[in-house]
Amino acid sequence: MSEKTMEEKVEQATNSKNVSLPMSRVRLIMKSSPDVSCINQDALFLTTKATELFVQHLALSSYKNGSGKETNTLSYSDLANAAEETETFQFLTDILPKKILARDYLKSLEEMKKDDDSL
Amino acid sequence: MNMDGDSSTTDTTQLGITGEYMTGGTYVLQTQDDDGDESFNDHEDGNGSKDYFREQDIYLPIANVARIMKNAIPQTGKIAKDAKECVQECVSEFISFMTSEASERCHQEKRKTINGEDILFAMSTLGFDMYVEPLKLYLQKFREAMKGEKGITPVTVSEGLGEELTDESFTGQLPAGLITADGQQQNVMVYTTSYQQIPGVQQIQFS
Repeated sequence: MSEKTMEEKVEQATNSKNVSLPMSRVRLIMKSSPDVSCINQDALFLTTKATELFVQHLALSSYKNGSGKETNTLSYSDLANAAEETETFQFLTDILPKKILARDYLKSLEEMKKDDDSL
Repeated sequence: MNMDGDSSTTDTTQLGITGEYMTGGTYVLQTQDDDGDESFNDHEDGNGSKDYFREQDIYLPIANVARIMKNAIPQTGKIAKDAKECVQECVSEFISFMTSEASERCHQEKRKTINGEDILFAMSTLGFDMYVEPLKLYLQKFREAMKGEKGITPVTVSEGLGEELTDESFTGQLPAGLITADGQQQNVMVYTTSYQQIPGVQQIQFS
């Protein structure tokens, strides 16, 4: 995350209520968890705000860590790598599988078959 | 076409389709009249979108997510389209992750309503401790702002939020010197007794 102090970060929100994500949608997602009955206003706000911080955190970490240095572009594989390498993001590994090219997959299938045959 | 000049519009809105709904293979056609007032503070889904979303497909709008990402990385950086979509999914995962942790704690303490403390505790437990301090500051500002608008809430309070948004919740009963101007915490109690607490449950000190 950036070098600014917390206070500065908070001040930079033009509007002190400022959330740039729709809270009603956040609430929908929260309610889709099992056994969740009621969510109070503070909890909803905190979750929404935390989600913003999370997006910033994930984007910046992945970008800095990854191929962004050469290509200047944040790619899917940067995210997948961040999930694998950073402890905080490890809960994402299931939904961020590393992609391989179809031909590489087919090649490795071939090789596996060959190994089976040669046994 | 009535375009508000809203910077979030994408080309797909020309067709009456809001780009934000074209995610994860679930396509939702939104009527044109819903497009114009796309605000990012709690926009009530006018098209009854709940009917269209399967539980596992509930995402935050990609435009909002993409904008936050863009502002986080250096200005010259770009973001691949599949990266944006992917973060969108990660976000839903993050929210669910936090919520179920917070919910569990709630149940353990025999409470029905997830409150702010539960969320902050969940963050801390799940390795997002670094968010806690900034969040407390944001919350304070939020509450101050709410106080300033007595009775008028910035969010649409839909049914089932579980707690009446009364003035009482937001009167200035936060302990003085809670968070001083230089960001140092004098007093770690964030939640006051005007908050609905079950007697006997100690307020958790965040150290």
